Amino acid sequence: MGVISHSEPELHRPDMIVGWPGIGNIGIITVNALKQQIEAEELGEIEPWDFFYPNKVIIRAGVLQDVEFPGSKFYYKKLANRDILLFVGEEQPSGRNRVYAEGGKAYEMANLVLDVAEKFDCRRIYTSGAAVALTHHSHKSRVWAVATERKLLAEVKGYANTLLMSEVEGRDNLGNITGLNGLLIGVAKKRGFEGVCLMGEIPDYLSRVPFPYPGASQSVLEVLAAILGVKVDITALDDMVTQMQGVIANVFRQFPDEVRERIEQRKQDVQPGSITEEDEKWITDHIDDFFRREEDDKGQ
Amino acid sequence: MSDIRFSGEPELQTPAMVVGWTMDAGRLGSRVTDYLVDKLGGQAFCEIEPVDFFPLSGVTIVNNIVYFPESKFYACPEKNLVVFQSTPPSYEWYRFLNLILDVAQDYCHVREIYNIGSMVALGAHTAPRQFFGTINSNEMKKELSDYSLTREIDYETPPGGKPTLNSYFLWMAKRRHVPGANLWVPVPFYLVSAEDPAAYRSILGFLDDRLVLGLDLADLDEQARLQNEKIDQVRAAQPEIDRIISKLEHGLRLEEGEGEKLAEEVGDSLSEFED
Repeated sequence: MGVISHSEPELHRPDMIVGWPGIGNIGIITVNALKQQIEAEELGEIEPWDFFYPNKVIIRAGVLQDVEFPGSKFYYKKLANRDILLFVGEEQPSGRNRVYAEGGKAYEMANLVLDVAEKFDCRRIYTSGAAVALTHHSHKSRVWAVATERKLLAEVKGYANTLLMSEVEGRDNLGNITGLNGLLIGVAKKRGFEGVCLMGEIPDYLSRVPFPYPGASQSVLEVLAAILGVKVDITALDDMVTQMQGVIANVFRQFPDEVRERIEQRKQDVQPGSITEEDEKWITDHIDDFFRREEDDKGQ
Repeated sequence: MSDIRFSGEPELQTPAMVVGWTMDAGRLGSRVTDYLVDKLGGQAFCEIEPVDFFPLSGVTIVNNIVYFPESKFYACPEKNLVVFQSTPPSYEWYRFLNLILDVAQDYCHVREIYNIGSMVALGAHTAPRQFFGTINSNEMKKELSDYSLTREIDYETPPGGKPTLNSYFLWMAKRRHVPGANLWVPVPFYLVSAEDPAAYRSILGFLDDRLVLGLDLADLDEQARLQNEKIDQVRAAQPEIDRIISKLEHGLRLEEGEGEKLAEEVGDSLSEFED
């Protein structure tokens, strides 16, 4: 088990940006968009077999040709002002019926990604993911940030449209980041890397549905581009955002009046906060039931 | 090889290996492998330890019988055959499948592998069980060309789907240069939770020919005949069931609820066949 290299570029203290699927697929959409915009080239990949079940078998004329696994690939780009490494994981390592990776497999995967970061003497690691917030889907997503070291916080506070997780109303200075987008930054700290996790806000009532939320990715991409000093066209995600706005609006119209009214009140909120236990229970009672009913109806 | 425990040292000379998974449609995998072990006097000689591959959070009980995950190799030295029967692993598939190949290749020096697989079919039980194979090498395809096994199938798993464990295993065997074939037999959907002797008769007929096992399969012909008779009785007693099966026999689509009704009624009538 290890990393297969496809090329050996010479990179100078690159920054590494990492993304896996997660809530709203915010992290992976961000990293994929960045990869496309800067036209990053493939560097290598993590051998998949110990982490994933295959997702495709290819048979030709009755003969099994190959099976394919979810990709875990590295890319690189030498820019004028800095070098960049990217990692895109198509799936979080599965097993034991968990939605998000945890335990031994996740730790192994995180370490393999960081082995590559170490090999190229990376300056800093960025991960991105979702921040579940009491916001409204018509609001522009803000970006919450955490860092591996106190000394980075001042810099992070200076990013546009970004706030520290502790600044979010109701957080009580506590929080957690689920899955590999979170775990990686923890392992990065353990191994002595500087690291920052940037999380795009997604409304709580959309956090449990299997929709991408590209509006949040757009916000994270904007912040990342500024940090890295690269020009990106965030409107490249506009089509996806528009498409999802239509889907969300359609679903939203079907919410019960009481639920919709409560959510609509948030339009007035200037400072959306994180979710409290009471809010989480309310979502579980109302929104999850709604989507379960929708699924049941589709199944019949 | 701490995940593997040997309990015997059978004398085998580049044997063939048949692989069957329990809990597949029509119980095909376990019925075929049970039959081979029983008729050919197979002796267990090795097993894969379940820790790391199965939840082991308790046991499953079916009809008052305890089921615990088992992954056993049996040797039938007289017919130069290895049979592997196992519960499908719940995780660590790559490691698990490699362990099977470690025993097959490194210890038994297996020359070819046949994986038993069933497909849920929308056809009637009165249709022949025309099985087919997917092969992992062109050489093996040529060798099996006399058995009407291969079809010129092109297939790719659709997005969101997952390949079967048999396909995964066949690919791993290919990587380790072990020739092999997946044998697929259609099992009518209303026999999926019962069993389908005609389906495993069809597979065993092929294995008997190919591996020169000298099996007398008359008992399976009789089982299939008795099962058909039982279903005929249901058809005679329940015109609705007869009408639904007739639709299947004529290749017509079923209306909503008809499939469920058929599976329920036929399943009930065949329950006395179950162990």
